[in-house]
Amino acid sequence: MVNFELRRDRIVARWRDKKTEWVIEPRYWRNPTVGIGLLFILPVFVYSYPHILTMITTANLYAAIAIPLALQMLGTGRVNFGPQLYLGVGGYTAALLNLHFGWNPAMTLLATVVVCTVIALLLSPTTWIAKGLYFSLITLILPLTFLDVTYIWGDLFRGEVGLVGMSPLLSFEKVTWNYVAYYYLSLILMLLYLLFCDRTVRSRIGISMAAVNENENVARMMGVRVDAYKVFFYVAPSILTGIVGWFIVHTFRTFAGVTYLPLEFMTKILIIVIVGGRAFLYGAIPGAYLISIVEDSLRGLGPVNYFVFPLVLIALIVFLPRGEGLWGLYKKRRPRDYFPKLHVRRE
Amino acid sequence: MSDTLLQIVIYALIWGSIYLLISLGFSLICGVLRIFHLGYGVVFVLAAYLTWAFMEEAHLGLVPSIALMIVVQCAFALIVFYKGVFQRYLEEEEILLTVSILVFLAVAHLANYLYPVTAGVSIPSTIIDDVVTIGGVTLAWQMIIAALAGILVTAVYVVWFMKTRIGLIIRAVSQNLPAALLMGANVNRMYYLAMILSVIPPTICLVVIAPFWGVDPFMGAPLLMTAMLISILGGLGNLKGSIVASYLIGFIHASVSFIFVPRFMGFAALIVTLIVMIYRRGGIFAGETLW
Amino acid sequence: MLEISSVSKNFGGLTAVSDVSFSVKEGEVVGLIGPNGAGKTTMLNLICGIYKPDRGAIRFDGTDITGMASNKICKLGISRTYQIPQPFESMTALAGVLVGVLNGKKRSHMSLPDAALEASYYLEFVGLFSKRDTLARDLNLYELRMLELARALATTPKLLLLDEVMAGLNPTEAARALDMIWSAQDQFAITILWIEHVMKIIMNATQRVVVLQYGKKIAEGPPREVTSDPKIIEAYLGARYAQH
Repeated sequence: MVNFELRRDRIVARWRDKKTEWVIEPRYWRNPTVGIGLLFILPVFVYSYPHILTMITTANLYAAIAIPLALQMLGTGRVNFGPQLYLGVGGYTAALLNLHFGWNPAMTLLATVVVCTVIALLLSPTTWIAKGLYFSLITLILPLTFLDVTYIWGDLFRGEVGLVGMSPLLSFEKVTWNYVAYYYLSLILMLLYLLFCDRTVRSRIGISMAAVNENENVARMMGVRVDAYKVFFYVAPSILTGIVGWFIVHTFRTFAGVTYLPLEFMTKILIIVIVGGRAFLYGAIPGAYLISIVEDSLRGLGPVNYFVFPLVLIALIVFLPRGEGLWGLYKKRRPRDYFPKLHVRRE
Repeated sequence: MSDTLLQIVIYALIWGSIYLLISLGFSLICGVLRIFHLGYGVVFVLAAYLTWAFMEEAHLGLVPSIALMIVVQCAFALIVFYKGVFQRYLEEEEILLTVSILVFLAVAHLANYLYPVTAGVSIPSTIIDDVVTIGGVTLAWQMIIAALAGILVTAVYVVWFMKTRIGLIIRAVSQNLPAALLMGANVNRMYYLAMILSVIPPTICLVVIAPFWGVDPFMGAPLLMTAMLISILGGLGNLKGSIVASYLIGFIHASVSFIFVPRFMGFAALIVTLIVMIYRRGGIFAGETLW
Repeated sequence: MLEISSVSKNFGGLTAVSDVSFSVKEGEVVGLIGPNGAGKTTMLNLICGIYKPDRGAIRFDGTDITGMASNKICKLGISRTYQIPQPFESMTALAGVLVGVLNGKKRSHMSLPDAALEASYYLEFVGLFSKRDTLARDLNLYELRMLELARALATTPKLLLLDEVMAGLNPTEAARALDMIWSAQDQFAITILWIEHVMKIIMNATQRVVVLQYGKKIAEGPPREVTSDPKIIEAYLGARYAQH
């Protein structure tokens, strides 16, 4: 069925007439297999500290939001300042359906996907109607407007208090096992997202979108279906973010829009993408862990941390090199790989 | 029915004039520096809390506090934003915008930490502490004064841009930067001037509306959103567009408040902006030049 | 193969193209000449779907392509190069041609390595195989024009629209480019509509020539006939040179 071939530096898999290659990276600090292995065995060391487990689960979820955002920015070529809109949409869909209609997590997952798809399709015309900067601004405003909406219909959305008590995804007898299980689930979610986004960027769709980012008219003249691809690159990451919202609802079992929709949360995610480096996708993981650790350690300072945290983020941007970032694209053997340039003001 | 109509018209005019002040500075930076200043909300927070700090900690009177606050504001805008953020990250716009937001968040949370809402911050800048009734609608004199201040400041700005030499130079810089450079404009100095000019209307706005609008550390975000919507609607960086769009958004807010529920104001304004963008992609006065 | 019937296009008050009709038969090399500002590039843009004609119709192989979207026109078999080369600057030469290979016609099952193989074939055809890993912004003018040609050929066109390929090339490079285009026409059996200013090329390479001036067609016919017509000489050089 599937034939595997081991060459000197890569593994080639063939299925019917399709062929994929995995390059084996010799530098251990850049080898994703080593990194992923480390992430998998991490709980062995920390399983008795539930708050560290929560911290790394949160880090995985931050990365799971940042990776589709990076894909969206690469694909549409514009910066999306409001990825948390779909987090809120997905989360509230799952939470409300679970609380008021008693749907179990599998059904709420389906509902989340459907609702996010519908709303993303409704909003996708902004990718081609709104010129570059306008698109970024509209994405900035949308989550704040959604937050307003949750306050307006406060009896339904429970405003600042949020919704509590949704059914958990799984529960074991020992509480520690819950934490560990949630960590592994979030890790698998994040890795699936990474796989999906990586495959998309390295596929024909990815190369075509790189061409569109460079010069849209020329790409169109070469046969690239620009509008269809832009819609795909807007809708798909939105659905993925919505699924993270669903995950949050059923893992942490509380969901308040005010935690996830305002600007503070957005800056966290954006910093993860920016600090992750030009490669954006792989760099999101160490970036997310860094931000999560910083956030957790600052929490001990008390209420001042709300003031110190943005300053620390500014320091991170100023002092961390952005060329290769924390974890550049791991293939150094093809040095002339394509590094996309983000344009905020593009037409 | 006509009562509601009168209310809508009056409040549309008053809010429109107040929004003029809010969006003037934002459009100025957008049109001249071509940078979307997402940290613009800082101006409001600094205006309110610096004045309060000078009055409470240094025990200065109202007017000296305001004067000192304006000086600190200009310094903050020039040093932190212009030199610290804009000049460093001109090439990497996503970082520029993110750092602007972060500065705004840092300042807002600092204000919240030092003077939380419970500390009762207020700026006693009421000029006439009385109400007036116009055909069944009761208004505080302060609101009318705020509206008049808005119209006056905008008029001064427009006349200044149209009639003075420096105004001409700034307009030239906003229309075509390389050509202005070739004509000998000192672009850096114009940028400093534009930054300072953009700080003044929101400061005046805050000082006059503080008595009835209420002061809270996070007031910058909704005001920034309104300024952004007005800019998008009127055409980024276009003064004419800002003026028209301010009254338009004021009208939308007023009608939604009095016909439906006040909480829908922001949402309605967003929907209208999106609809206008479908038909005219650059806003009402597209063209991204100052006038 | 290509039929242009009474096409007109205005931009505001400026008439770029006014009531132009001509046709291109399969296998021909047709030149489109005229002084600057005659509307030649606009004509090309109209055929490619970048602008929509105000009046008139364009038919390609029997299908009406007036105002069709550019990517559909490309899939039907029309490709073009640009007067000022517009490569994908941060992408390597290979990647640029790769985009053409993957999107030029309907190939849903092509994997990236196979597409890269085909792209390198086109690069080798124009002589750029050694530069396949160079970023497009590091190539010189001749290589950029060859890259444009390779990219256009990679979309397997039936009709190739060339826009001033020889501009800025020295005589050696121009001769090599001409050879390349001839062998492309030979081996890929394409029809060519060629905008050009260099008269020597027009004489040698084209079988028929269409002359535009101020947006109108003023002559059509074999190159030698057309260029000795005093009306054409007057259009290019002014009335003083028309009598000789």
